[in-house]
Amino acid sequence: MATATLERSRPRAGGPSGSAWPRRRRRGGWLLLLAPIVAFDVLFFLTPLGKLVASSFTGGAYARVLADPLVTRSLVNTLTIALTSTVVTVVLGYVIALVLWRSGTVMRVILFAVVLLPFWTGILVKNFAWAVLLQDNGLVNDFLQNIGLTDAPIGLLHNRFAVIVGMVHCLLPYAVFPIFSSLTAIDGRLALAARSLGAGEVSVFRRITLPLSTPGISAAGLLVFIISTGFFITPVVMGGPGDMMIANEIDYYARQLTDFSGAAALAVILTVLVSVIAAVYQRVLKAGGHHETL
Amino acid sequence: MTTSVIAPATHQPSTTAARKGAIDLRQVRKTYGDVVAVDQLDLSIQPGEFVTLLGPSGSGKTTTMMMVAGFEEHTSGSVMIDGVPVDSLPPRERNLGVVFQNYALFPHMSARENVEFALRMRKVPKAESRRRADDALDRVGLSGLGGRKPRQLSGGQQQRVALARALVFNPAALLLDEPMAALDKRLREHMQEEIKTLQKSLGISVLFVTHDQDEAMAMSDRIVVMKDGRIVQSGPPEEVYNHPVTDWVASFLGDTNLIPATVISRDGEEAVVDLAGLGTGRVRDRGAQGERYAVSIRPEHLKFRAGPDGENGGAGELTSSTNLGATIRHRITVGGHSLQLRELSSDAGASGHAVGSAVHVGWDADKAQLLVLEG
Repeated sequence: MATATLERSRPRAGGPSGSAWPRRRRRGGWLLLLAPIVAFDVLFFLTPLGKLVASSFTGGAYARVLADPLVTRSLVNTLTIALTSTVVTVVLGYVIALVLWRSGTVMRVILFAVVLLPFWTGILVKNFAWAVLLQDNGLVNDFLQNIGLTDAPIGLLHNRFAVIVGMVHCLLPYAVFPIFSSLTAIDGRLALAARSLGAGEVSVFRRITLPLSTPGISAAGLLVFIISTGFFITPVVMGGPGDMMIANEIDYYARQLTDFSGAAALAVILTVLVSVIAAVYQRVLKAGGHHETL
Repeated sequence: MTTSVIAPATHQPSTTAARKGAIDLRQVRKTYGDVVAVDQLDLSIQPGEFVTLLGPSGSGKTTTMMMVAGFEEHTSGSVMIDGVPVDSLPPRERNLGVVFQNYALFPHMSARENVEFALRMRKVPKAESRRRADDALDRVGLSGLGGRKPRQLSGGQQQRVALARALVFNPAALLLDEPMAALDKRLREHMQEEIKTLQKSLGISVLFVTHDQDEAMAMSDRIVVMKDGRIVQSGPPEEVYNHPVTDWVASFLGDTNLIPATVISRDGEEAVVDLAGLGTGRVRDRGAQGERYAVSIRPEHLKFRAGPDGENGGAGELTSSTNLGATIRHRITVGGHSLQLRELSSDAGASGHAVGSAVHVGWDADKAQLLVLEG
């Protein structure tokens, strides 16, 4: 009864400056509001995850998958493909972000739409579109032959190159936006100051713009790398047999071999590997960030 | 403007042999579409002169400075530095030190690296550039703080770094864009004196932009008052303050009493005017032409008088007295005008007028200025 009165009187007391007692009540109430989402997460996320981790430790799954040469190969593939596409994506993304940053309002809106387009397009659509472009009698090969650069179609599809192309296309927005936002955070007067002190365009970029946008670059790098380790469709659609990544291996274990504890072990390995790399990456950045010099 | 003895001994004397740093703007005009930001501006800054562009926001003062610095391209006219047109030169070749409103220090570089920047750009050897940067930091009183990042420095210290950075490469002149706007009042006054002292000891010309009339009064050799992209008046601080040419200038540079006036006769130096309700009087005249005139008398130039003696004054009633600490502000109704009279608190005891009592007030002829009523 007493609490009910308190609850009801609170709106009339008005504002956050109530006594300590209703405030404590309110904090309890907020926690209660979290209950549904906590229950949902425990039931549909933590429980299956726990089960997966538990099952990965049954029947010597780790020894089994690590002895599989295909697994080690796909692990190496995953890391090299992810690293390559991260570097390409961040470099390309930086250029796009730079152009976006320097362009006027109209141009910026158009470019934003172009950058966002892959966001709104399904990954299958994007990959098959690239497959059409890159195949032996596709647009790119036709063009190369028409201008006389090549005599016969060159193999652009079903190889590592194609996988990287497909992945970079999907990953670009994730690089452009963090970099763009770190560029817009730079005070425009810094460039003016640098120019008044004798800097040309190149020096302004090298000594001011680039160092001050490193937070965006590192955020983009981490984000893109983590996402790229989990690619599954692109290696299937655009890669060759030698370009399978860890996600494809998990799929193989689960569906072809029906070795669920093996698949679970692979998933755990991937998660741990990416977490370790991300942690090391951030540690290195933190150590290096404070020694930014001329 | 070259005789200063206030430079402390620690300040190095100017090492530049020949005096340089003359800036000339000839018929400079800047338009953005239909909007005229700066209109047919003529301005000359002598070597070693401290010139302030004073005006409200939108008066074109910052645009003018940006055109001198080279960040803004003027639509027509010509900008010259030491007699050489610089219209086609990019900012980095104009050799001008610029201090921006929020200093624009490079946040990722230490104070020393900020100061060294211009020297690095000029390919000065590392050891020498470091020595010169430390010298410059010493000169602004920041010895030993060269290793700090801007965010580890106070507002005043950041401004000193910005000054050292703008001076270290011996620029032809210094451009300061509201450099004190971010500082609190006491620090601002302190920095005004420091900048002035530094400028004198270096003998460098300064183009200073501000909307703060006290700052302009305190620092300038010459004040250029701007309004709507034009120069309204230009002259030494005392002259602009005591002899404004329009009511707008008079009000922009502080409190004033404006009494509508009819000109009876004038010779360019002095005028005889009829002050509605206050009889006729002799006032200073600068020959400004307009349709309507008024006489401006600063509140501190209006004095209580013992009796109805002399011209330039009248009898009235003291309607209010407000103690402002150092000064007392009186309001007096004289001949239908409500005039403001300001006297030092220390002088107030002698006169001792009570609110409501009859008083006589007057002013010296050379302290009353004939000006044009705008609008």
